[in-house]
Amino acid sequence: MFYKGWYHFFYQYNPNAAVWGDIVWGHAVSKDLIHWLHLPLAMVADQWYDKNGVWTGSATFLPDGNIVMLYTGSTEEAVQVQNLAYPADPSDPLLIHWVKYPGNPVLVPPPGINKKDFRDPTTAWLTSEGKWRITIGSKINKTGISLVYDTKDFINYEKLDGVLHAVPGTGMWECVDFFPVSKAQENGLDTSVNGPGVKHVVKVSLDDDRHDYYAIGTYHDKNGTWIPDQPGIDVGIGLRYDYGVYYAAKTFYDQNKNRRVLWGWIGESDSEAADMQKGWASVQSIPRTILFDNKTGTHLLQWPVEEIESLRLKINEFNGVRIQTGSVIPLDVGPATQLDVVAEFKIDKEALEKTTGSNETFSCSTSGGAAERGALGPFGLLVLADDSLSEQTPVYFYIAKGSDGNLKTFFCNDQSRSSAASDVNKQIYGSFVPVLKGENLSLRILVDHSIIESFAQGGRTVITSRVYPTKAIYGAARVFLFNNATDASVTATLKIWQMNSAFIRPYPNDEKFLKDLKQM
Amino acid sequence: MTKIISLVIFHAVFSFTFLPVTDSATSLIETTCKQTPFFNLCVSTLQSDPRSSTADVAGLGHIIADSINGKAPATLNQIKGLLKSATDPNMQKALQSCVDSYNTIVQADIPVAFEAITKGDPKFAVDSAADAANEAQDCEKSFANPPKSPISDSNKNVHDLSVVLESIASLLL
Repeated sequence: MFYKGWYHFFYQYNPNAAVWGDIVWGHAVSKDLIHWLHLPLAMVADQWYDKNGVWTGSATFLPDGNIVMLYTGSTEEAVQVQNLAYPADPSDPLLIHWVKYPGNPVLVPPPGINKKDFRDPTTAWLTSEGKWRITIGSKINKTGISLVYDTKDFINYEKLDGVLHAVPGTGMWECVDFFPVSKAQENGLDTSVNGPGVKHVVKVSLDDDRHDYYAIGTYHDKNGTWIPDQPGIDVGIGLRYDYGVYYAAKTFYDQNKNRRVLWGWIGESDSEAADMQKGWASVQSIPRTILFDNKTGTHLLQWPVEEIESLRLKINEFNGVRIQTGSVIPLDVGPATQLDVVAEFKIDKEALEKTTGSNETFSCSTSGGAAERGALGPFGLLVLADDSLSEQTPVYFYIAKGSDGNLKTFFCNDQSRSSAASDVNKQIYGSFVPVLKGENLSLRILVDHSIIESFAQGGRTVITSRVYPTKAIYGAARVFLFNNATDASVTATLKIWQMNSAFIRPYPNDEKFLKDLKQM
Repeated sequence: MTKIISLVIFHAVFSFTFLPVTDSATSLIETTCKQTPFFNLCVSTLQSDPRSSTADVAGLGHIIADSINGKAPATLNQIKGLLKSATDPNMQKALQSCVDSYNTIVQADIPVAFEAITKGDPKFAVDSAADAANEAQDCEKSFANPPKSPISDSNKNVHDLSVVLESIASLLL
């Protein structure tokens, strides 16, 4: 959230180990979502109602500018309950100290709901009756659901009879997020906004497969329900925020810049033994703005926040580079471990038309990766590669032509040769990406040592990968263009920036420094 | 008359509370173990622990975690002992890698699995158990042939039990 000049980030943290457990609320602040200052833990497990974990929660801004925080506590008997907390000192822009409401918990699992299936309350939004409404994910057998509660004071709640929505077979709905998006305008909307120019998004984190799913639909305020526009891609069975490692993501309305910002947890893809030796595990993605893609009408667009551009250093431009079939072209950009890549690809039109289609279905994850040649793909970039290409992570497009002549474009990340190490994930991630008539294929990639965030078609399809090369590191990392298609040559135009490092500072034990900070 | 009736009722209530529960408990053990790839290992491990007669699925998961908690530290000690007397540098390397693997199983994987099952966030138990199985496998793979693995049986046991734990934790999702 953005409060008195600072972006605040509260996160699930284990102070004792580089694995999950002993969860408390970590806290960090930033002026620009890029450079961060660590603050003391915001909340620890010091009450009976959160003794076994201070879990996920959400902040709501009241009309007077004050904040209320609702969060899930795992009680000393491991029951999941919802608790209320608020800043101890609202005049402190750093919001260092928090107070837990003495009457906690404010919500306990209702009848018919398992006491371990009731967690992650959302930010509240105003109903047409002027009450606050929240939703909390749960499940009944294997049907994922989201319960709805109305409140006037965040202390007393009335549960609505139905649920916001339910989808059979999806299992437990964690970290439910519910928010409006503008159909036509390129700005974010406050969570309470509703109206004809607005669609609502329901997002869930599925416990069963550890992926975040979303669907776009219509919210009915009268009875607190939501209906998807396309039941075939309903929440949990359709589109994902990210086809790689990305979970428990959450949005907030940034009133500072009138945008909705999405933030997700990127876990590790290495072994826990490695995590223990590293002494840390898990990172946050670069924050992304979220917009409704009114060109497709079915997708959201995610894009790294503009502040990331402040880390751009030296630029290298490559215009109209022709990549013949079966070739790899090195791009001389200097050290290639911290990069921002913006690329556009044009594929040989004749080949697109001439190639015979087939009935074969393609999927990134079951394909042979970038080494498997098709008529019209794969082509793209090789990042975190070494000179000899013994290690490489292809980020690429693959165009499949159906027997009806229709083209379908896929966007993939291939980790199969990302590292010589044997204890890391080597899967191929990806998905179909809608490409509309007249659009070139476009790509944005943020490379940061072991993290790759890649965005296709302006953020219609996004893949985040964790890779752990042993050779393609630091000064030995390179980036290449490649085209492994058999029939079509490709022309690429790119801008590649070296990226500076962000400053992430520990909490200073310095009164004067803090005093100066608060006056910024 | 009323005294006899109340005695009969008391006796009936008394009998019912002490009905043997083994039948229903056995079938929970069986239905649970059928959903793991190592049915026999799962059943024998659970049945050898008296708590299994009254445990729910989460409780059965705890019992398996406990079993790994018994085997893994013992294997770790065995590895450390072998390391002390090892002279072949390849053997030393493999054993050292196994020390790392088993330290992870004992210090991270099993405690996380326990906590996650208890607190009702079983996906962390699934991931940790999967990691434990991988660690045991990594240890076994670190022995080329030669040197032959001196702890194959223990590695297989820990691996298979971890896979059982992963399957049981998945049932809780």
